[in-house]
Amino acid sequence: MAEAKTISKKFKVLNEYGIHARPAALLVQTAGKFESDIVIEKDGNQVSCKSIMGLMTLEGYKGSMLGVTAAGADAAEAMKEIEELFASKFYED
Amino acid sequence: MAITLKQMLEEGAERLSLQVIAGERYLSNKLPETAMNRPGLALTGFFQYFAQRRLQIFGLAEFTYLKSLSEKEKRKRLTELFEKQIPGIVITRNRQPTKEMLELAEQFKVPVLRTSMITMRFVNDCTVFLEELTAPHERIQGTMMEIMGIGVLLRGAPGIGKSETALSLIERGYCLVSDDVTEIRKNSRGQILCTASEITRYHMEIRGLGIIHVPSLFGVAAIRREAELDMVIDLYPPSGSEDRTGVEPATVNVLGVFVPCITLPVRSGRDMANIVEVAALNQKLKELGHDAAKELDERVINRLTKGRIRHG
Repeated sequence: MAEAKTISKKFKVLNEYGIHARPAALLVQTAGKFESDIVIEKDGNQVSCKSIMGLMTLEGYKGSMLGVTAAGADAAEAMKEIEELFASKFYED
Repeated sequence: MAITLKQMLEEGAERLSLQVIAGERYLSNKLPETAMNRPGLALTGFFQYFAQRRLQIFGLAEFTYLKSLSEKEKRKRLTELFEKQIPGIVITRNRQPTKEMLELAEQFKVPVLRTSMITMRFVNDCTVFLEELTAPHERIQGTMMEIMGIGVLLRGAPGIGKSETALSLIERGYCLVSDDVTEIRKNSRGQILCTASEITRYHMEIRGLGIIHVPSLFGVAAIRREAELDMVIDLYPPSGSEDRTGVEPATVNVLGVFVPCITLPVRSGRDMANIVEVAALNQKLKELGHDAAKELDERVINRLTKGRIRHG
């Protein structure tokens, strides 16, 4: 097993409706594919990226910044896929 | 898909007390409209809008009217009627057909049937019977349960635990309709009705136990003969891609009707009966107009968009 790494990145919410149920589900599904622990943080609130209810309480509206931290062997791959979701506006708009 | 008189007799001769009295060779006549007509007006000579594609019912009124006619007139009117290529005639109250009817039946290849029922009963029963007979139907793999008035069809690969889930649901007080093989049909109101196949009805096969008879073990309250299909639940080995919010519900096409469908991953130790029970409750709530997933999503979106000013 590769050495555990911790990666942190900040992403801007680009889609009109922000992190509502559908984007939250996409994040959870993506994060769920990886072994790494992935957390999302905003305004000092930190939730697991594998929890739908947690993500919806973040209040990730359009234009807000979310900090994502992935820790584990596959952290880099996980981060790449999550970045794609944010960049593609969660396939919305 | 029109049925023939022969099919109708095979399935319903007993139930409708029908027997053939003339034109037996022409039972392969198709019944283009599964409805009945009382040809009273036609017998008076009025053939406009005559429902010639339907079964013609001769009851007391028709016979009494025929009796009032002269022999010549009677033959003329009946000939006109038979000429219209009617699919068949049913005589009610076990009355004797007139000799003209028997001759014309052969001449125009129209079967004449007879029932002991009175006209009104026959028309009612035969309408229901024909509707059942011609309703779209199918036999599908799946276990049908009724949970608090919600008809749930459990599907999934053999061995995934449909029967075990059903058994747990029965223990919780819900009703079994059919195990593993379910007959479905669509009625005229577009509802999908599910029943068990006659032979195996109320029996279940539980791995390791063999075959059990549900009402003997759990009482008659544990069974239902028929239930309307409200939702389909597919049991699957976990794939990681299952729906996590229920905001975009899926449907499956059952006999042309779109039925809500959810996919439940089965993991060892997961209480499937409990989850199926909640799924049925949630479906009931949706039918009452409350969609929890949608409402929460709307609340979140509302907060994330309109409430933005507060976030600065």
